[in-house]
Amino acid sequence: MSNRQDLALSLMLAVGATFAAVPGHAQPVDTSRIAAGSPNDWLTYHGAYNGWNYSGLDQINPSTVKDLSVAWIHVPGRSTRGLQSVPLVADGVLYYTGSYSRVFALNGATGQVIWSYFPELDEMLVARQTHSPYNRGVALGEGKVFVGTVDGRLIALDMKTGKVAWDSKLQDSQKLTVGFTGAPLYAKGTVVIGSQGGEWPGRGPIYGVDAATGKVKWTFLTVAPTDEEKKTWGNDSWRTGGGGGWMPGTYDPASNTLYWGTANPAPLYDWSGADWKTTGARPGDNLYTTSVLGLDLDTGKLKFYHQELPHDAWDFDSAVGEFVTIDRDGQKYIVHPNKGGFIFVYDSNLKVKNVYPIVEAINFVKSINPQTGELIGRRDFAAGKQAEPLCPAIDGGVSWNSGSYNPKTGMYYKIGNEWCITLDVVKTTPVTEPAAQLNIGANFKLVPPSEGQIYGHLDARDPITGAKKWEVRFPEPPMASVLSTAGNLVFVPDSRGILHAYSADTGGELWNHSDGLGHQGGIMSYAVNGKQYIAVVAGFGGMVSDDFAPTFGEPYKSMPRDDGVLVVYSLK
Amino acid sequence: MACLTFVLLLLASVILGHAVAQPATANAKPSIDVPQLFATTCGWCHSDGGRVAGKGPQLMDSQRSDDFLRTRIKLGKEGAMPAFGSTFSDTDIDAIIRYIRALKPEQG
Repeated sequence: MSNRQDLALSLMLAVGATFAAVPGHAQPVDTSRIAAGSPNDWLTYHGAYNGWNYSGLDQINPSTVKDLSVAWIHVPGRSTRGLQSVPLVADGVLYYTGSYSRVFALNGATGQVIWSYFPELDEMLVARQTHSPYNRGVALGEGKVFVGTVDGRLIALDMKTGKVAWDSKLQDSQKLTVGFTGAPLYAKGTVVIGSQGGEWPGRGPIYGVDAATGKVKWTFLTVAPTDEEKKTWGNDSWRTGGGGGWMPGTYDPASNTLYWGTANPAPLYDWSGADWKTTGARPGDNLYTTSVLGLDLDTGKLKFYHQELPHDAWDFDSAVGEFVTIDRDGQKYIVHPNKGGFIFVYDSNLKVKNVYPIVEAINFVKSINPQTGELIGRRDFAAGKQAEPLCPAIDGGVSWNSGSYNPKTGMYYKIGNEWCITLDVVKTTPVTEPAAQLNIGANFKLVPPSEGQIYGHLDARDPITGAKKWEVRFPEPPMASVLSTAGNLVFVPDSRGILHAYSADTGGELWNHSDGLGHQGGIMSYAVNGKQYIAVVAGFGGMVSDDFAPTFGEPYKSMPRDDGVLVVYSLK
Repeated sequence: MACLTFVLLLLASVILGHAVAQPATANAKPSIDVPQLFATTCGWCHSDGGRVAGKGPQLMDSQRSDDFLRTRIKLGKEGAMPAFGSTFSDTDIDAIIRYIRALKPEQG
């Protein structure tokens, strides 16, 4: 055999190994497989535990992307408030969710339905909820598909049949009025899911559940778990709650550590003024709201934490934001965006290594000390109308959609939003029992930054230093996640419904296509039988997207907010 | 068939009767402070205390009837507004409607 034949055979074997997946020949999905992050699959919310939202596939690249077209679509039906799910793929089968936690298992090559599961929800409760009935996806592990529900349950389905393996009621959603909208995370026999809850008098639990039985192994209260933390909530204000860990965190197998972010305290806006440590609605730091936590996976015990915004008075919670794990020069970093528009860079013990802003419109602090994370020049409001708008807006300098780290370019691709709100802070009676849903503490409306118009931008930055390489601007903030690939592409599904592909090196646009509905969910890539696919959900509506019609008019004014579709692309 | 029609009409009247809340009795006092309620809950969608459109419509100068507002507050609208029928009494809802009718543009 000649050298050329050797090379050809080697290439064929390599390609065969990469694209060997065939639907119906499922390998067990376990912790080591999720950690390894096979390019054919997308086994957890962010693709792998590293939080990269990155695909190692390169069949679709700057040379071929012109031939990208729709391979198949799937319509889940009853897409109230659109679609927000990130599809997962294991061994050629795609799993995703629609509103009301509808779960579908589809043939990844054809879209053919393998099974579907529509849980029967407490519809009376759903009708009472504000942040409902959307769902952001599933977790896979031990031959099961795990999904949370807005009525407080975590359900395990058999991966092959969709039959219910167990259905566990984790919290009293009838009383609390909140349940689960975020995707769970599977790791080493435990399914972890965090409750909704920044605006409600709950204590934002994060639950660790036995993947085999559905029994709760541990519960971590993010609001004052012990008497020690209650001291950070003056006047027993821990009872007003908040702090939900409503988006999935991630897991480090080496240290058995679960990294998880928490939401803001309630009420969102305090009337304390500068004396927030001793007066106002909730005097003190309010541990562990607006924090990133390191928990022991097996016990749920707190190992370490960093409170990104002590006494968050702006609703800039830390539940949003992926945990991007990067090794550089022998140092392990964890990069985590905060809703206030800052990116925090930590070591593996959540000690601050750097902090940098990715949006211009920030005035809730003057800056954040990049060495210590200390807030400098914070704006704490007294009751009444504020002369200067608050920036960013309540919708966030960054939102819950994920950025992407690309190890080939070394760049972190992340959406930033430039917008503000007028604010009239109202001194309210403490809300300590679930009643009329929310506990905001202010009247507000969305306004442009003083420098100009509302807009969004995709930044390509060094994830550790924050140095910006390029930027692409959008007339309205994109609300969906970002995908980068080994094919040197960055995909951005925008709010108008256009899916864009950019050069990962330059930000130059190489391709786009309309999906017909605004995007506000996930995008990922996988391969079946040697063919690379890009899957994206389209369907608009929800707590941020609903602001678009009154703010921007068309196309949002006429865009359905009860529709959705999964669109899957491949090369012609 | 006539019997079935009667039953359906009876059922519809019961449902509608339940859905369309009646004004509360004159002497009852609301259990809520409506301006505070807008600052804690309603204002998330009905911006600036209901004075401008946000996620939900502007309430100031609403052309909707009291009955429409009462029913919408009680039953909500799927995917857009929660149902508050089990949270607020008819007296509370009347107070909310009075607040909406009294809304004026803010000065300054």
